[in-house]
Amino acid sequence: MVQSLVHVCLAGISAGMFIWLVASGLTLIFGVLRVLNFAHGSFYMLGAYLCYTFLRFAGVDFWLGVLLGPLVVCVVGYFMERFLLRHVYPLELPYQLLLTFAMVLIFDELVKMIWGAGSIGSPTVPGLSGSVSIAGRDFPVYNLFIIAVGPLVALGLWAMLEKMWWGRIIRAAASDREMAAAIGVKVPALYTGVFVFGAWLSALGGALAVPYVGLLTTGMGEAIIIEAFVVVVIGGLGSLKGAFLGALVIGLLTSFGTRFIPTLDMFLTFILMAAVLLWRPQGFFAES
Amino acid sequence: MDGQGMKRRDFIKAGLLTAAASALGPGVMKPVGLWAATPSIKGPVKVGYQAVLSGTLAGYGEFHKMGAVMAVEEINAAGGIAGQKIEMEIRDSTLAAPTAIQNVRYFVDSWGADLLAGVDSSGQALAVAPVMGQLDRVLMVTHAATEKLTEEEVFKKGVRQVFRICTPTYQDGNAAAFVAKDLPAMSWATINPKYEYGFTTWNMFKETLGKLKPGVQFTAESWAPFGTTDFRPHINTIMDAKPEGLYSVVWAGELITMMKQAKQAGLFEKIKHVMLPVGAAMDVLEGLGAEMPDNIWISGRYFFLYPDTPQNKDWVARFKKRWNHYPAYVSETAYSTMFAFKKAIEAAGSKETGPVIKALEGMELDGPAGKRVFRKEDHQAMYDVPWGLTVSSPNYPFKIMGKQIVIPAKEFFNRPPFEGDASKPPFKS
Repeated sequence: MVQSLVHVCLAGISAGMFIWLVASGLTLIFGVLRVLNFAHGSFYMLGAYLCYTFLRFAGVDFWLGVLLGPLVVCVVGYFMERFLLRHVYPLELPYQLLLTFAMVLIFDELVKMIWGAGSIGSPTVPGLSGSVSIAGRDFPVYNLFIIAVGPLVALGLWAMLEKMWWGRIIRAAASDREMAAAIGVKVPALYTGVFVFGAWLSALGGALAVPYVGLLTTGMGEAIIIEAFVVVVIGGLGSLKGAFLGALVIGLLTSFGTRFIPTLDMFLTFILMAAVLLWRPQGFFAES
Repeated sequence: MDGQGMKRRDFIKAGLLTAAASALGPGVMKPVGLWAATPSIKGPVKVGYQAVLSGTLAGYGEFHKMGAVMAVEEINAAGGIAGQKIEMEIRDSTLAAPTAIQNVRYFVDSWGADLLAGVDSSGQALAVAPVMGQLDRVLMVTHAATEKLTEEEVFKKGVRQVFRICTPTYQDGNAAAFVAKDLPAMSWATINPKYEYGFTTWNMFKETLGKLKPGVQFTAESWAPFGTTDFRPHINTIMDAKPEGLYSVVWAGELITMMKQAKQAGLFEKIKHVMLPVGAAMDVLEGLGAEMPDNIWISGRYFFLYPDTPQNKDWVARFKKRWNHYPAYVSETAYSTMFAFKKAIEAAGSKETGPVIKALEGMELDGPAGKRVFRKEDHQAMYDVPWGLTVSSPNYPFKIMGKQIVIPAKEFFNRPPFEGDASKPPFKS
């Protein structure tokens, strides 16, 4: 029983940390730009495919792939914000949703054209494929690493937003765009920067998912974005603390649900979301 | 895959330059010449094909396409069907039932299809069947496996327009039980898909194995929703239950992910008998490569190394040359579908639905997978597909079936009228 509980927890936490990497960028972009970016999952997918491509065809090692893949996605994110999204900020919300949803379809087709429609089994990463015995059952070393990466990213984000000067500027622009502009903040450039950074976080999640999921598919972005949206709604749109805790809760809930209440596993996540929307529609850690 | 999948341009080329296809050599089935006496067929034979071309399973659609396009090229190069060319349009089925229905309606009402084929998911097949009755066109199902399609829709409700060329869930559930009865495992558990296909195969496996091997226990079930990327919680459930055998019809990319994650969890050291009824799919074998453990029981709806006949070998070689892939099972079923249509139309002397149904019922078809017979009562094709244990081979960059067991279809296919114990294996006689 101890073995069972330990492994259910470990599985839940590692799953939650993947969702957190995607949800963090999503909530950051919403918090500052007030854009709900459906295509955020596409950055996750692109991050994974590009990391794989660097590994497979440029022969770089995995860590370089994790560095380079998301950097290319930053360029994609830059063009998307600069030339497309910027034009819909003044329009109503449905236009943003339509545009970003259209981008999802475009990115999926692009991936199909470049990498083919079939799913790609990713190569094993030397040195990361091992397992350690925890409470008498093997657990992948790589997942332990992911469990460490999640909180590190959270800590980094917190330090950046709370302790550094440009974090303060970001927060200022998020709370009052016009006032920030009036005191000399270049808001459009700041928006681009935040969007690119959010895209990087999502792509990093995708690149890191390559060895664990072991499979690249054109639909992989859509699968994770739904979970990320649930997490962001539960935690409070725009709240990083909420997204982190929300991701942990969803990861653990899915893991415990699958093991102990299997008939309700998927249902639990959405019951939680519905309950939050009914009793605390702004989410648990909403700013305002 | 490396972007070697068929591109749209290739597909258009395939349609336009059928003459070039004659360079590929003679087809498996030569024109029988009957058509000279059947002038009643006017205009091209139009086939509307649907398969999943988007989302995580888009690779399956590509394999359908390769088989179907190759058959159309070969048939047209060799004179067509009764002297008429085949025209084919392929649409994305998306795996959603409403889309499958829209597609068949479009094919028949707007595009003027004479015959329909394809369909991947069981849910789609069950949704489309009643519509085929209304539209009155033959639909040859090439992938969806639920036995309810042929047992309920065709046999009981009388939707005579629907046929199935691939093996149904009998292969996944009943045949697996025939193999499992001779294994030492006395307790079995499953990680299965959380939808129709997963439920029905596990029930069939339990029911048949329970009869074949009294005392066998079924100790745990973990249901993975469509799109699962983290099987760790399911693997925990199975490892907590400590069964001797694991049965799973998780398929395609999800199976690749599950196998990798199960390996990391050390599952294969603890559970010695693992059965994957659709593990012999090419995308899975190629995707896992050397990471597929040895001595896993796998099967499918066709495996390119069976049967060991010149006809099959020749087809596999031509397929490899044309697409630079080994044929997946949906490639074989899509390919053979076109030849089934050809044989039926030429025998009927007509492409009208009524005569074609009559010709297909009880028809024998020789294809890469060997000899098939379309059962008259439920329109299910009967043919043999092996089960086998995974093993490395110096000739292939992926694991293949080593030791093979062929359980003849007639021994484990449920029998009409599909009611009572006598209709389900093991049979008394």
